[in-house]
Amino acid sequence: MFGRYDRGFSYTDPEVNLQIDKTTTLPEYRRECGGMVVTKHLAADYDAIHIHPVEPVNLPQEITHHLEISFPPIVLPPSTKKKIFLTFPVEIGVFFEIHKEMNILDIFSLVPTKFSLYGLPSTGIITRWYRSGIFSDIPATDLHREGVLELTLINSSATTADVSRAVFDSYGMQLFYGDRVSMTATMEIMSPLIASTTFTGLPPNGCPNRSIDLYAARKFAIGPRKSFFMESGMA
Amino acid sequence: MIPLAGVLPNSTEVVTALNDETNIVGNASPKEISLFIVSLVVAYVLGLAIAHYLKLKLSHRLKPDQLTLLTRVIRVILILIAFGATVPGLLDLSFTILTLIFVGIIAIIGISSQKVISNMVGGLALLYEHPFASGDFISTGDVSGTVVSTRLFSVLVRTTSGVSVQIPNDQIYSSDVSNYHANVARRYEYVVGIRYKDDVKKAIEIIYGLLEDYTFVLKNPSPNVFVSDIDADSVRVMFRIWFPSVWADTKDDISFQTEILPRVKAALEAAGIEMPYAHREILFADPDLRFPELRAGQQ
Repeated sequence: MFGRYDRGFSYTDPEVNLQIDKTTTLPEYRRECGGMVVTKHLAADYDAIHIHPVEPVNLPQEITHHLEISFPPIVLPPSTKKKIFLTFPVEIGVFFEIHKEMNILDIFSLVPTKFSLYGLPSTGIITRWYRSGIFSDIPATDLHREGVLELTLINSSATTADVSRAVFDSYGMQLFYGDRVSMTATMEIMSPLIASTTFTGLPPNGCPNRSIDLYAARKFAIGPRKSFFMESGMA
Repeated sequence: MIPLAGVLPNSTEVVTALNDETNIVGNASPKEISLFIVSLVVAYVLGLAIAHYLKLKLSHRLKPDQLTLLTRVIRVILILIAFGATVPGLLDLSFTILTLIFVGIIAIIGISSQKVISNMVGGLALLYEHPFASGDFISTGDVSGTVVSTRLFSVLVRTTSGVSVQIPNDQIYSSDVSNYHANVARRYEYVVGIRYKDDVKKAIEIIYGLLEDYTFVLKNPSPNVFVSDIDADSVRVMFRIWFPSVWADTKDDISFQTEILPRVKAALEAAGIEMPYAHREILFADPDLRFPELRAGQQ
């Protein structure tokens, strides 16, 4: 599904049907997915359609820009470094290109959404929550539903750390796609309560294509954020 | 003409100036006065245009109160620039005019000071303490609604029925104010009654499963479902859930009620668990006391 589609655009698989009908007065985009039909009319002619995995924090509405991945507890001794693989939900963005500028047309997902609270109601943040298993190697995933996160855990603190969740800021996410949807990140544990998560931006093996950053396509006046500080614990 | 800066005028000069009717507008020429007025009007219009432009460009990036503050600051700066650029020419105004203006201002403040000053102080306190922002849903006194704007003297609130209510700042500052958007998450609780004969454990499992599957019910803190009471008609099952404040349509929590409660009812009924009507079963200690009129008739 992911990639560039020139002019005549249509994509069909057992779960999703996407197409643009150019016979109507204005080009009509139509998405049929999960028993739901969405139609939109394009007021301008486009040069190409791009379908990319996007930061999974947009559906069903923009409530947060943080992703929380919960996983079985890992005990990490002091001064150790361990690479693990987690899974995360995939959201699919449909972009239309006009004069080399990307514009978002639609976002959808085949995965149900769940939200959570990280921290206290008064000082914490709402996160898009996802439960993942822990894998020592790249897990097999349906690339339209789940992506693979290569997470390097680094315990820089002087104590053993219990880790069972990681929170990421989507403004720093750098997604890649190819055989699978993937991203790479590090989580540095500084104390039993504080850690920082950072996306490395390195393309994982088998995922040479860089996805379009949603905040860039939306022309938000923000740049990518380097790190997110988890200050409410990791377990 | 009496100089405004430098040595203070003596009484003779003041009397002379006040008697000199031709000096009523001082040395400020009509051209300078016109320039002053035109500059203020231009600054005001320019401020409106810039505010409109910023609203178009930044409304999706900034919160409404941040945008309002930005546009107000820009407008005040423009007015100050216009004032500063043209007012030196007007400083030649006569002592008579300045005295009249000064007395007028003092009179206005004197007449309306109590309420105005207390509202202004309340407004400053609200700006400092910032108990709510534009877009927050608040309730204070008899008013519940979304804050449209916080001004120097009052807060404008749009109620759920679409009525705009202007609340004086001193009133809002001295009352209890509940802000439903102050925290990122809010808890809601609801109680359903089921029959005595229904399986309570099964009902709890059904409700819990349904809440777990619902997108906006937060995973953490997780929902609580438990028997809160056993009353005369039913076993009361309470569920407490947390959800994101920004999602909640806090207008009477209608989102929660329309989204979740019908699902709970349907799921319980599908499992054969019913919510009973209130009923009473009357037992007589002496069976002979039953239907005395009927027995009397038979005799």
